[in-house]
Amino acid sequence: MIDNGAITVEGIYKVFKKGRSDEVRAVDGISFDIKKGELFGLLGPNGAGKTTLIKCISTLLIPDSGAVRVAGYDIYREPLEVRRHIGVLTGGERSLYWKLNPVENLRYFAALYGVPRKHVGDRIDYLLELMGLTEKAGARVEKLSSGMKQKLSIARVLVHDPPILLVDEPTLGLDPYFARFIRDFVKNELNRKQGKTILLTTHYMDEADELCGRIAFMNRGRIEAMDTPVRLKRSMPQKQVLEIKCQGAIEKEIFDRVPDAAGINITHSDGFVYVRINTDNPEMILSSMIELIQQKTKIFSVRVTAPTLEDVFVDLTGASLRNGK
Amino acid sequence: MKRGEGSTKRVFHYLRAINAENIKEWKIELTYKPDFIRQFIEPFVYLFPYLLYGYALLGGRYSEHLKDMTGIGDMVAYTFIGYLFIGFLNTACWAMGFSLRKEQWYGTLETIFVAPVPRWVYVAGMALHSTCHQGLIMLIQAVVITTFFAIVLKMGGLFPALALVLLMLLGLYGLGIIVAGLTIALKQWWVVSEALSTLIVVVTPIAYPLAVLPIVLRKASMFLPTTYGIMGVRHFMLGEQLAVSLPTIFLRLAIIMVVWLTFGMATFLIMDRYGRKKGSLSVY
Amino acid sequence: MWVVVEEVRKSFKILLAYPVEVVFWIFSPLLWVIPLVFQGKALIGALSSTPFGALAGTDEFIPYVLIGAIISTYMFSAIWSMGNSFRDETYYGTLEHILSSPVRPAYILLGKGLYNSILSTSFVIVQLLICVFIFGLEITLVKVFPIFLFLLLLIAGLYGIGFMAAALTLLIKEAHGVLHMFEYVLFLFSPIRYPVEVNPITRAVSVFIPLTYALIALRGLLLDIEFNFWKNSIILLGIDCALLPLGLLIFHYIEKRTKTRGTLADY
Repeated sequence: MIDNGAITVEGIYKVFKKGRSDEVRAVDGISFDIKKGELFGLLGPNGAGKTTLIKCISTLLIPDSGAVRVAGYDIYREPLEVRRHIGVLTGGERSLYWKLNPVENLRYFAALYGVPRKHVGDRIDYLLELMGLTEKAGARVEKLSSGMKQKLSIARVLVHDPPILLVDEPTLGLDPYFARFIRDFVKNELNRKQGKTILLTTHYMDEADELCGRIAFMNRGRIEAMDTPVRLKRSMPQKQVLEIKCQGAIEKEIFDRVPDAAGINITHSDGFVYVRINTDNPEMILSSMIELIQQKTKIFSVRVTAPTLEDVFVDLTGASLRNGK
Repeated sequence: MKRGEGSTKRVFHYLRAINAENIKEWKIELTYKPDFIRQFIEPFVYLFPYLLYGYALLGGRYSEHLKDMTGIGDMVAYTFIGYLFIGFLNTACWAMGFSLRKEQWYGTLETIFVAPVPRWVYVAGMALHSTCHQGLIMLIQAVVITTFFAIVLKMGGLFPALALVLLMLLGLYGLGIIVAGLTIALKQWWVVSEALSTLIVVVTPIAYPLAVLPIVLRKASMFLPTTYGIMGVRHFMLGEQLAVSLPTIFLRLAIIMVVWLTFGMATFLIMDRYGRKKGSLSVY
Repeated sequence: MWVVVEEVRKSFKILLAYPVEVVFWIFSPLLWVIPLVFQGKALIGALSSTPFGALAGTDEFIPYVLIGAIISTYMFSAIWSMGNSFRDETYYGTLEHILSSPVRPAYILLGKGLYNSILSTSFVIVQLLICVFIFGLEITLVKVFPIFLFLLLLIAGLYGIGFMAAALTLLIKEAHGVLHMFEYVLFLFSPIRYPVEVNPITRAVSVFIPLTYALIALRGLLLDIEFNFWKNSIILLGIDCALLPLGLLIFHYIEKRTKTRGTLADY
């Protein structure tokens, strides 16, 4: 049965046993639909179950229960057809043969995917040019930079021109220049120009906000909310966020008695601590916040912003995207 | 949208993938040149202790006792043919058994596992690669040893001998795919490979006829493709007297081949499903 | 010294996590003797051989081969255990921490060597017990002191070889194949399976291998075969004196070279 949805997931569960009594519910009853041509994001902290879900959809793992259809094919009964219609891109560098050059790598994967022989040469030339790797065609992969390896990984994923792409943390570990390139490429070339359906997982909220038409928040194996980024942000009960940038150690508990402050999120970046408080009245809580923080640390700046996806996530789950749980 | 691949197209797709796997392995192997050369020297270093042991026992290379038992008195010729063809055991126990682990070490296991070919195709690709590799080593070994030790082989028996080797190889592929399947479930998979290859070497008539084995081991050897393969090859190439008739050898080898291949594929498919259920792929 | 003891403790703890491997290492040397027993039976139809006796000093080839297999446990575990020790640390992800710690890597290697000697000795004892009680091997243990003396002399030389093997694994990324080849070469040129006098080349090369003298002496002591005690012990001591510093020197040189060129991360 072929339907219009590119990916349909209905109530899937995946539990891993750790030892005799311990178990981890990696995917805990998830359902969603992705339409053809959509760029759908799964946003959640490390350990939320995003990669397990991608592995179930790509037939690497068999779910304990539930149904998944990809391009109209059932993952249990027609795994080979599912695989023929998807390309899976993961972060990290080791999805290629480092001792082979880009052409040899692509030729090998073209054979695995059954790309007609007469088209292989042209397809490889096209992909290398598309990714700006033509000059590196004969160099061993081990000699390429991390960014180039990731570009070649994208070429590998596209070698059989799949209609659906599963992209798992594509910019993980890349420098800002290559991360920007990958984001632009995924959005403009693959989704807009080539019309590919993309399921993207990330724990970077900016990446999800920028790229995805719809986003599902995932935490502890469950989907907590699912909508467009704009609607998700609008759904916040508090319409403003007070952000205080400071330096030093701060515990969440010190804000317990702050009135009208919900979903406090503390993150660390570049040696600074960012305390973000979702609120409707930033002016009202400002003085008590400053007083509390000054007792512990030094404040560098204070500002009021609109809620980000991360604020929505914190509000919904009480967990931070960066720190998890 | 077209619904699936036609069966002929599918067969050609798999064959092409098997060959691509073979070519890829050659290319990777050739990047480690000293190791590649070593693999061609090693079989000689492995064989000589067995020959020198024979020399020490006999004070020469002729054995009256071996002659009485097998019809071949030349210990060197007898032992050499045995060790030459047992080289294919490496294909089963190591190359095929090791194939998925190797991909894990490259870091490419999950990448290739999402390609639209069944997983046994990668093991089959490795079998093809190792058979070519091992075949080349054997050819060199055969030329050097026969020249060096002035061994006269019956070249008229070459084609029937090769037919037997082919059947033996297919049976060994069955064994190899079992080992490949077990590597999915077992952390210390190499112990299985090592123990299995050692035990097969013990019960296979490589350097001695089956008659010297205790009855239990002799019975066990009846289930192994290497037993009939080596006995038959030695019969065709050196004129070894056989305890069973040639048609029986061919028939038994054919049955063993079918049984091992079927059992092997079943084990592999069960283990693959187990791996995908348990999520043990990434912790192979 | 504390580092050495800690290394021994850690290595034993890791080993005990793999009980199947322990069983395998105990039985492996005995398993490869079995084909040699059958080969002997096929070639001469008996369990003793006069030509063998003329070369080895004993007609009975099975005890000869069994002792060779058991004692060579020291040699092979030195090559594999010490040689692969730093390779193993890369798998645990601890190599760079070890080499950047203030402790000299040679001490860590010494710890691994000591662990290896204790382990090999326990394996050898179990193997001897199996041979005596299951296979009916007759040995004389009255000369306990000289047996231990030769074992110590053998182990000391093997530390030198172990240091070299460890250096090799730091130098070559895929050292597994080379170590395997090394093992085969030692099988060929030392009197593990047969008296090296059977061939002029094996006889010539065997004089440089410490295992040769240890095997001559230990077989002499365990199987009551005549041998020159002083000659073998002095040569073995001489080889130890050469191998130990040479092994250390090579290891220090390669370790320094690896650190200077930053090739550790290439592993």
